Amino acid sequence: MFLWIILAILTAAVAAVFLVTLARGSRPAVDDRAGEIAVYRDQLTELERDRGLGLISAQDAEYAKAEIGRRLIAVAGDADKDADCPAPRGGLTATGAVMTALVPAVGLSLYLLLGSPQLPDQPLEARLANPGNNMALLVAKAERHLAENPKDGAGWDLLAPIYFRSMRLADAELAYRNAIRFLGPSPERLSGLGETLVAGTDGIVTEDARLAFEESVRLEPGNPRARFYVALGLEQSGRRDEARAAFEAIAKDSPSDAPWMELVQQHIASTGGTPQATTNAAPGGPTSDDMAAAEDMPEGDRQDMIRGMVESLAARLEGDPNNLEGWLRLVRSYSVLGDKEKAAEALKTGLKTFPAEGDEGRQLIALAREIGIAAEGVTQ
Amino acid sequence: MIIEIGHYTLVLALATSLILSIVPLIGARRNDMAMMALAPVGAIMTFLLVLISFAALTWAYVVSDFSLKNVWENSHSMMPLIYKYSGVWGNHEGSMLLWLLILVFFSALVAVFGRNLPDSLRANVIVVQSWITTAFTLFILLTSNPFARLSPAPAEGQDLNPVLQDLGLAVHPPLLYLGYVGFSVCFSFAVAALIDGRIDAAWARWVRPWTLAAWTFLTAGIAMGSYWAYYELGWGGWWFWDPVENASFMPWLAGTALLHSALVMEKREALKIWTVLLAIMTFSLSLLGTFLVRSGVLTSVHAFATDPTRGIFILVILMLFVGGAFALFAWRAPMLKAGGLFAPISREGALVLNNLILTVATATVLIGTLYPLVLETLTGEKISVGAPFFDMTFGLLMIPLLFAVPFGPMLAWKRGDLLGAMQRLYVAAGLALVAGFGLYYIQNGGPVMAAFGLIIGFWAMFGALADLWHRANFSKLPFNVAWRRLVGLPRSTFGTAFAHFGIGVTVLGVVMVTTFETESVIEMKQGMTAEAGGYSLVFDGMRESIGPNFTEEQGHFTISKGGVAVADTWSSKRIYTARGMPTTEAGIVTFGFSQLYVSLGDPIAGGGMVVRIWWKPFILCIWGGCVIMMIGGFISLSDRRLRVGAPTRKAKPAKAPKLEAAE
Repeated sequence: MFLWIILAILTAAVAAVFLVTLARGSRPAVDDRAGEIAVYRDQLTELERDRGLGLISAQDAEYAKAEIGRRLIAVAGDADKDADCPAPRGGLTATGAVMTALVPAVGLSLYLLLGSPQLPDQPLEARLANPGNNMALLVAKAERHLAENPKDGAGWDLLAPIYFRSMRLADAELAYRNAIRFLGPSPERLSGLGETLVAGTDGIVTEDARLAFEESVRLEPGNPRARFYVALGLEQSGRRDEARAAFEAIAKDSPSDAPWMELVQQHIASTGGTPQATTNAAPGGPTSDDMAAAEDMPEGDRQDMIRGMVESLAARLEGDPNNLEGWLRLVRSYSVLGDKEKAAEALKTGLKTFPAEGDEGRQLIALAREIGIAAEGVTQ
Repeated sequence: MIIEIGHYTLVLALATSLILSIVPLIGARRNDMAMMALAPVGAIMTFLLVLISFAALTWAYVVSDFSLKNVWENSHSMMPLIYKYSGVWGNHEGSMLLWLLILVFFSALVAVFGRNLPDSLRANVIVVQSWITTAFTLFILLTSNPFARLSPAPAEGQDLNPVLQDLGLAVHPPLLYLGYVGFSVCFSFAVAALIDGRIDAAWARWVRPWTLAAWTFLTAGIAMGSYWAYYELGWGGWWFWDPVENASFMPWLAGTALLHSALVMEKREALKIWTVLLAIMTFSLSLLGTFLVRSGVLTSVHAFATDPTRGIFILVILMLFVGGAFALFAWRAPMLKAGGLFAPISREGALVLNNLILTVATATVLIGTLYPLVLETLTGEKISVGAPFFDMTFGLLMIPLLFAVPFGPMLAWKRGDLLGAMQRLYVAAGLALVAGFGLYYIQNGGPVMAAFGLIIGFWAMFGALADLWHRANFSKLPFNVAWRRLVGLPRSTFGTAFAHFGIGVTVLGVVMVTTFETESVIEMKQGMTAEAGGYSLVFDGMRESIGPNFTEEQGHFTISKGGVAVADTWSSKRIYTARGMPTTEAGIVTFGFSQLYVSLGDPIAGGGMVVRIWWKPFILCIWGGCVIMMIGGFISLSDRRLRVGAPTRKAKPAKAPKLEAAE
């Protein structure tokens, strides 16, 4: 509201200045040639001075003087002619009215078209002082804190997984390494570092990553995540038997409804073993309980049930689009259902709320890349 | 809210300039004072509105308000404060807003300083300025709006292009725009006079300070840009005949011609039509430059973003204004009264020669700049027109021009005495010959053309001094009398002398550097020594350091002469973290007018770096000459005679701050 008052005052002030100037009276312009005459008179004085100084010869000075004199006479003649100019007639009221209308008409219509009156100013300092739930701001705040206290391991520890989730892998790697340096190694940090490295190499468990996972397993022998990657590393380096044994060991030590079982079983199969039946779903989809219920249904019903749940999520997001987790889950679910078109559509809708330029938008795009749907018209 | 107010005042500025485009024009036709009086008031108001808008954008940059798309794209919260200010115009949208701000600033100046002008002329000048303002405000609002918002706002910006994170960005664009856009006033004067159908000697005198101011700022802007490219880009060059450079050089050449022809018109009422045409051409070349740089036709550090709609929009503006002005010219010019006559050997004759050569030189640069573009558009073939073309054409054209420079001021108006002028110049000629050959032999080697170039440079310098010497008549009068005469000379005489001296200094620097510079690219390991320009450089090693928003590797060099250490320098390579973009920061050491220029290349296996070392003899003369020219411009501007007004109103303009305050 306050904004509109100021804009109204500005508009009124501009129109008023024009009107007052116009109303100052409509007298005919004195088309004074005095300015020109002054210029020529000045040239004459200059000429005299030059002659006085001996800069030009007396003869040249006479010629020049005659020439300037001719111009002076010409101007005086013109001035006499111009003096009979007719006085202007009315039309000022109309001009004033048109102008008064034009200022707000042009100003407001164009501003309403282009402006964003609903948006307040958002200086960064003020936003950082009161970040609310905005993850990007919290991250920025933590980053500033770390720029001043680069040895605060807890800060790095906090940021590292957030960077990883938002696919800022280089930052995540640095944060994990700093956290390990200042706080010492822990299974979470080491596994996190390993996963960051793996994500950065398109799923290849590199030497660096393998060392991190092995160290993690050493610290916490039962850690299934680290053990899985160690096994994966074995599989990728062609040591299939060792890999199969490792995968089978993970399967043996895990509860049968653990969310990672399906993946482990796949790898047992791909390394030549016999997988056991699993009971979990793809990550991020409907919960494993739902999926367990769906297990017993006929194929068509099961698809319907999952689809129904996904549809309800979609409907919920339509009502409340400001839910990044929801969009991420929706896009992923559609892709699990094999519906790439719907997934792309959901991505597009999600990007409306979280523009591709923002950090949230980047997460969406990163996910899209991961599961291989095209984010058309979206640039990063 | 501040941002939205800034956005709104920009829209309001469009409304006011629309009104100013029409109402005072009608007023001038009807001889109605009330309508004409809107022009100066409205021009000042438009300036204030755009100023508020610009201040709002600047505020958003300073407080890092990333809800503005423009700020988010071109700033970073960790950037040093000075770059947050200069970053406002370090991007397409912001630089267009600066362009507009300077345009309306000049309109407001016409309103304030134009009290000595006839009412209708002043009204019409502001009307034409308002046409340009309207076109560019529309361009900004519709295609390049710096006030576009983002919601929700990102938490961190994408940083300013690292090459632009330099003091140069704070200085170069504002100076350049003051020059570029300053010529809009000359254009407006020309068009206004064509509308009025009345152009005379007084008109020329009124236009001259504007031409002079714009020319002075453009000189400074181009020189600053050249020096910036020299020290920042790390190639050791100071002029590349790059289309973007040519885009600013062409208005300078045409503006220089205008400056001289306006002089003839003021003194003799001759060359009227030509002067009007030059005024139109100069600003047209400014617009062409804006088009080339802003449309994305050229890719360079100046083309911040490429967007075809912008290019087409500016092209339409260009055609509208250039085409319109030339059409008006074709229609009105034949009605102008012809001016005074003069003999070929005279001051006028010399200035005509100056104009001829400068115009041909402008055309040469124009062809060299546009031909590759046109060829690529038509045939897809890419050619580059580089230094060899310009050296052969532009370089050769400059020789007769520079040769004639000292004669101009010596010749009398109307009919001059070449023999007399030559007699007065023979001392200068002799000195130039001695100095040119002297310097040539000291440097020992190089083509004969170089000696000739040096002589030409000295010739312009000594010629300028000789002019002052003879005007004060030192040869005949006792020293103290002559000194008093010298002090009493009009300031514009000193302005001329400074400008001509400066061009000589620049030529000297150019010839010295192109002929005698040495370049060596060597692999250096720690402790190794290289030789350049009689100095020895010892590479002491590398270190790493961290700046506010970059990390850098710095190499240290100790410079010694005859075994005695005389200087040391750091040369570094930076990586700007936000964009991961590298830049080089050359190490530059100044010895007198000469410089040693050390730039780091890539590291080599087994430790050590590739190092490029240049010895640049007398290179500072290039920019020093420009500074002298600039000083000449300001001295001339301060000449009382440029502010002669109507006697009855004289009190006011005389007390008003001088034009230099516009700096």
